[in-house]
Amino acid sequence: MLAIGIYGLLTNRQLLKVFISVELIATAATLNFVMLASAAGVGLGEAFLILAFSTDTAVSGVILALLVIVSKKYGTSDISKILQMIQNKDNSEVEA
Amino acid sequence: MIFEILAVGLIISAILALFLDEVIYSVAALAGTFFFSSLIYVENGAIFAAIFQFAVGVGTLAILFLSGEMLGDKPTKKTSPKRTGALIGAGAVLSLPAIFLSVSGPTGTISDISFGDALWNVRGLDVILQAVVIFTVALGIAIGLHEKRKGGK
Repeated sequence: MLAIGIYGLLTNRQLLKVFISVELIATAATLNFVMLASAAGVGLGEAFLILAFSTDTAVSGVILALLVIVSKKYGTSDISKILQMIQNKDNSEVEA
Repeated sequence: MIFEILAVGLIISAILALFLDEVIYSVAALAGTFFFSSLIYVENGAIFAAIFQFAVGVGTLAILFLSGEMLGDKPTKKTSPKRTGALIGAGAVLSLPAIFLSVSGPTGTISDISFGDALWNVRGLDVILQAVVIFTVALGIAIGLHEKRKGGK
């Protein structure tokens, strides 16, 4: 699942899909903690899960804030379209 | 056997969450991912982890439904059933290592508390019900926005 999340993070152009990829990576990491703790018979995995979720929530908040700002400024959440808009704007400034 | 079925469901829903074009369907597949991971935690005796995962997952899904409808771009083409079937097949193939290379031994019990106790005595049910209420509200708002968007086409 970690590999699927990393592949999605590297290849997706939609910011929302990037966010979903980050969630998949976080879920894979927490699943890993709990499974290892279950195999070892200790309860530390659940404590790590809570810690990992707090970190994941903070990261998710930052990504969502970026998503809102970018969507409001450029009217789209497609990374390639945003880059094209920025390049067109730079080219028009250079020509001017 | 149950673990293998849950692992296959988890990976298939993860792939669908990434590769489906409509945001609503992607988020629904992500809901499946969180649900299957919660069930895996329950199967391994980590009841609190399962309840926590469920509650946090519901909050994340509520935000994703709303932001997907308000901020996401509309897909240019609809996902064909053939593509969905191919994604499910790819997910099943990718989950084969989880079945044949599984390192899970006898499941160790992490929590001393039983599932019923966790729900009734330690207020786990309260957390789940609150999460369901928040999720229902967010789903209702997302459906309203989706219909409004369709009407404005």
